[in-house]
Amino acid sequence: MSLYERKTTVERAIGVAVLVFVLFAPQLVSGFWMDTVLTQTFILGIGAASLVFLSAYGGMISLAQAGLMGIAGYALGNMVTERVEGGETKGLLLGWDPTLSVVLAVLLTVGIGILFGAVASRSFGIYFLMLTLTYSVIVFLFVSQVTQVGGFSPIAGIDRYTPGFMGDVVNDRQRLYYVSLAVALVVYALIRYLVRTPFGIALEGIRDEPVRLASLGYNVTLHRTLAFGIGSLIAGVAGVLFAWWSGQLSPSDIGLQATIQLLVIAVIGGLTRIEGAWLGAFAYIWISNEVTNRIPEGGLWLIGGSFNTVIGLAFLAIVIASPDGLMGLWDRIWNGLRGRGGTGEPAVATGSAGSQA
Amino acid sequence: MSRRTVGKWKLVLPLAALALGTSLLATSALGASGGAVKVAVVTDCKGAFGGAYEVGAAGANIALAQFAGGKVKNNKKPSAGISGAKAGGKAIQIVGYGCGDDTPATILKETRRLMQQAGADVMVGPLSGDEAVAVANWAKARPTKTVIIGTAGSQDPTLQIAPKNVFRYHGDGAQWNAGIGEIVYKKLGWRKAAIIMDDYSFGWTSAAGIIADFCAIGGQITKRVFPPLNTTDYSSYVRQLPPPGQVDGYFWVVGGTGTGPALKAFEQAYGQIKPTQHSGNLFLWFLTGFQDVAPRLIGSYVGGFGTAPGLKGKAVNQYHAFAKKTYPGLTNANFDDGFLYNYYQATKALVDGLNKSGGAVGVRLQRALPRTLSAPFNISNGGNVKLDANRQAIQDQWPVQIVKGPGGTPAVTLTGYVPNVDQTFGGLFKKSSPPPGRTQPPCVKKKLPWQGKIREVKNGVVTNTVIK
Amino acid sequence: MKLPRGLGTFDRPVAERIRAWGVMGTVPRVVAAGLVLFSLLYVIVIADPVVDVGSWRTTNFGSAIDNPGAFLFTLLDALTFAGLLFIVASGFSLIFGLMRVVNMAHGSFYLLGGYIAYEIQQSMTGVGFSVQPNEVNTWEWVLPLLVAMGAVALFGLAIQQLLLRWNQGQDLRQALITIAVSVIVADQVIAHFPRHVPAGTKPFGGNAVGIGWPGWTNRLVDMHIWGVQYSLARLVMLALGAAVGVALWLWLYRTRTGMVIRAGVDDRQMTSALGINIQVTFAIAFAVGAALVALGATVGTSQGNISQGQDGVWLLNSLVVVIIGGMGSLIGAVAGSLLFGLVTAFSTAYLPTAGADCCTQYSPVLTFVLMALVLAFRPRGLFGRAA
Repeated sequence: MSLYERKTTVERAIGVAVLVFVLFAPQLVSGFWMDTVLTQTFILGIGAASLVFLSAYGGMISLAQAGLMGIAGYALGNMVTERVEGGETKGLLLGWDPTLSVVLAVLLTVGIGILFGAVASRSFGIYFLMLTLTYSVIVFLFVSQVTQVGGFSPIAGIDRYTPGFMGDVVNDRQRLYYVSLAVALVVYALIRYLVRTPFGIALEGIRDEPVRLASLGYNVTLHRTLAFGIGSLIAGVAGVLFAWWSGQLSPSDIGLQATIQLLVIAVIGGLTRIEGAWLGAFAYIWISNEVTNRIPEGGLWLIGGSFNTVIGLAFLAIVIASPDGLMGLWDRIWNGLRGRGGTGEPAVATGSAGSQA
Repeated sequence: MSRRTVGKWKLVLPLAALALGTSLLATSALGASGGAVKVAVVTDCKGAFGGAYEVGAAGANIALAQFAGGKVKNNKKPSAGISGAKAGGKAIQIVGYGCGDDTPATILKETRRLMQQAGADVMVGPLSGDEAVAVANWAKARPTKTVIIGTAGSQDPTLQIAPKNVFRYHGDGAQWNAGIGEIVYKKLGWRKAAIIMDDYSFGWTSAAGIIADFCAIGGQITKRVFPPLNTTDYSSYVRQLPPPGQVDGYFWVVGGTGTGPALKAFEQAYGQIKPTQHSGNLFLWFLTGFQDVAPRLIGSYVGGFGTAPGLKGKAVNQYHAFAKKTYPGLTNANFDDGFLYNYYQATKALVDGLNKSGGAVGVRLQRALPRTLSAPFNISNGGNVKLDANRQAIQDQWPVQIVKGPGGTPAVTLTGYVPNVDQTFGGLFKKSSPPPGRTQPPCVKKKLPWQGKIREVKNGVVTNTVIK
Repeated sequence: MKLPRGLGTFDRPVAERIRAWGVMGTVPRVVAAGLVLFSLLYVIVIADPVVDVGSWRTTNFGSAIDNPGAFLFTLLDALTFAGLLFIVASGFSLIFGLMRVVNMAHGSFYLLGGYIAYEIQQSMTGVGFSVQPNEVNTWEWVLPLLVAMGAVALFGLAIQQLLLRWNQGQDLRQALITIAVSVIVADQVIAHFPRHVPAGTKPFGGNAVGIGWPGWTNRLVDMHIWGVQYSLARLVMLALGAAVGVALWLWLYRTRTGMVIRAGVDDRQMTSALGINIQVTFAIAFAVGAALVALGATVGTSQGNISQGQDGVWLLNSLVVVIIGGMGSLIGAVAGSLLFGLVTAFSTAYLPTAGADCCTQYSPVLTFVLMALVLAFRPRGLFGRAA
């Protein structure tokens, strides 16, 4: 067996083991772990996957994904909640049918994503990064200033108006768990499929050599816009799931902190491989939980500061040591074993983080 | 190592790690069990109110020391915790001092961590308005958990949302400002005023109290200005205020980090601030970092915080004495700070409730929590606050005047006593009415329950003179 | 730095250029131009002052013709705020222009600089409120400024040498590194400042504090037109911004170091091959950029406050300015600051106020809409250079 084949086998074995574990996790672990750690891993992983998809296969590191998740969540929240006595008071309170609202919310997100993408598609690299960062800020400012759709107080009760198949999300968190898992698997499969289509391959070409592709007749701008649209579809789905999971949405779920959080997740996991999204999400949530539980009240030992310092240092360490994140570390270990003649593996998608000039 | 061995090793290791991880998850998922009542004390350690972290923790600890026999672990650091507290025959275990940052996202994270992972049954907190809205929404879906609000001033948690397991033993932001409108109307002769407020729920709620009071007695709010919460440059907003000739005064409800900059911007637009032309809410008490503007507010009348700094009385002295014994490093200024006092009251109520329920939590605790609670800063009802039907306190309020304190720093002194302020302002705010907002409440004349009953306070003593 | 792009490229007849746009190119341009023209007309002519019932034409002050004083006020507000923006954003732009480093830790440098200035001034004037503003003399403002600039410059230099020197050329990696630095530095600053606080107040926690302008700035200056009296402190802010701009221009275009910097911007390898120590130049440029941020922080803290969260605010402000104006361009930073300042001030003052739910609260959104508009037509900003 060549090294590459062996690596693939190992990865598949791990994948199967993980899948088996998560299928039975609700019976194995406590409610807190299932609900707060694992479900959130799936959901944030989907959000990070939209980022990783764009960066790994499109060469576009987009900081707008948290904003797009927020658009979907806020749209859902506004459409689905209704004005009842003793009920919600924030938002448009339209009270529409939940299933329809989900579809509309995701469509709205895709529409806005395509609009954002159209404006950003002519920017590359660092300019693209900064521009998408400001998109997230625009969304944040919009939902906090336009108080008709939200304001600084949370829009609440979103988890009480779910489509039939979701059941009672408030009390039965298991169904949400399995739905998130299913959606995560679908998104993963979708992305893996997409990169094998002509569209996906052209996208990788645009990532590597935009000028050459343009001279071959590909409409680079359109391609990138559509890729951004797909990314916003994934982010929109994540946003809807997040709204159900959290039950409430506030601008702090969208702002600068949320954006950086999603970026940290993607970078920790690895900006070059899709699996990195979920790996990064799990690592981030687990670290944040453990660290917050263990930091003595009032600050870290010696240097003061809080969990943010820890995660900042971890992030820094990863960017310096392994810019491709944990998945990149994994790849590098296997590459290091090539030594005496492992067969050549397909080039791992390099993205633009770290290894490019 | 041969390639085959390496291959096997590569296969086994991750699976072993996975198995190890699973068992770690499973074990760390088991919380401590036992018969203790688990309590989470949640304040802010970052954000606009980050300085209140230790202060809030101190309030909770003092109450536990005084009423539950607890001993603080470190009398210089409240967040170090407390041991030996017991109520209703069960030990009280503080599972953690939560750290919010004035945003709903973080407080929900802390809530899940402390209430779900660590398994706390009761939360004493949170600290800020939007956080309380988020926690109230969370609590609505979990009737077996109990929330006793720390010092949050938003109206929704106990009026519009009002779940049965959320309690608040102090006034909300509107209640804190009861009386100030009437005082400036009568004492300073204000008839027309402009108000500038942060464009979010606490700003609106706090302003609602001022507007309701001022308009009820016949004043007129001629202009409302809403700078957004994170404004960098207040000059354009301040300029929307009418110039000093066109109004008798300005109400300042800009808070958090914006109080100082907004005041500076005002001075740059209209010249020096005159204390007889400026009033506002409790944020004007805390201008600690803005020494170039703060001195000019000396003499202005400002809304209260539900506390009565400088009030003379036996209950107050007892409170101060015990608190000082517990934390010698803190001063009376700290004990009179709402951030400490409200946590103290909330925890006191918790101990009372546990004693009555025999240590039971959940719905039984909610039934046992006191509907009348002794309060050093309340004079009415024999020195007790009462809860209304929504578990919201009806509390005496104490408008203050800013004076020059020791060392030249601004301090506050009591100037008025407003008895029995309820959350609805005599029916003005209803459950079905929209929450305070940019146009809510409208400026209408009304007879409020305490109108014409506000008494002068001189040197910490409530006189019998009604303010005319 | 090169001449701004656009000047000197009008070599094709205008008609031919317009024809090259095509329909898809013309429509958005016409729409955008129409919006800009409408806004100008609205401010100058169309707006009405407040009457009892509002309409889409009602604004706080009315049009420029109704109330020229308010117009001048707003214009001055815009210019003075632009001055501050320019000081803070120029460092950001300089660092990118020369080293292609997007310094996302820019905001946390601001935070650090502001708090240092506060600490120094507090230790000079005495903590607490016994200080009347005319007691803050000029030296008590200048020394905190200098100390803050020096400290942040050294700090920035350390960051650059430790973390950014060995991975030059890897733009995105450096951006990620600076993001990590920003998270760490902001958290640490919040944990350790403010330190000098009045008795009874809790230190640390990133609480909001401010410093005072020198006392003599605390007066209104008569502008002699339309009865406008404007704050001297704000005019000083504008003067400082202009001074920084002139100083930067002189440095870049009239000194040897500046010449090297411009050469390094154009062609780093060639400059190095000519025997010039490009690393020293980078270090100097980064230190200067960091010092500029600290200068901006001192001014911003005098004008407003310094508190947790200001790092995010000022990073975004700088980002918007350089995105609009173009990275690495001095004139771009000027243009970006002016546009940002104008939109902020004028949108707040002149957006309709038809009822309390409309519309001045949308002014923060407008600045970002402006940015998106600029980028739709010039993806690299108004004066941006090709990467």
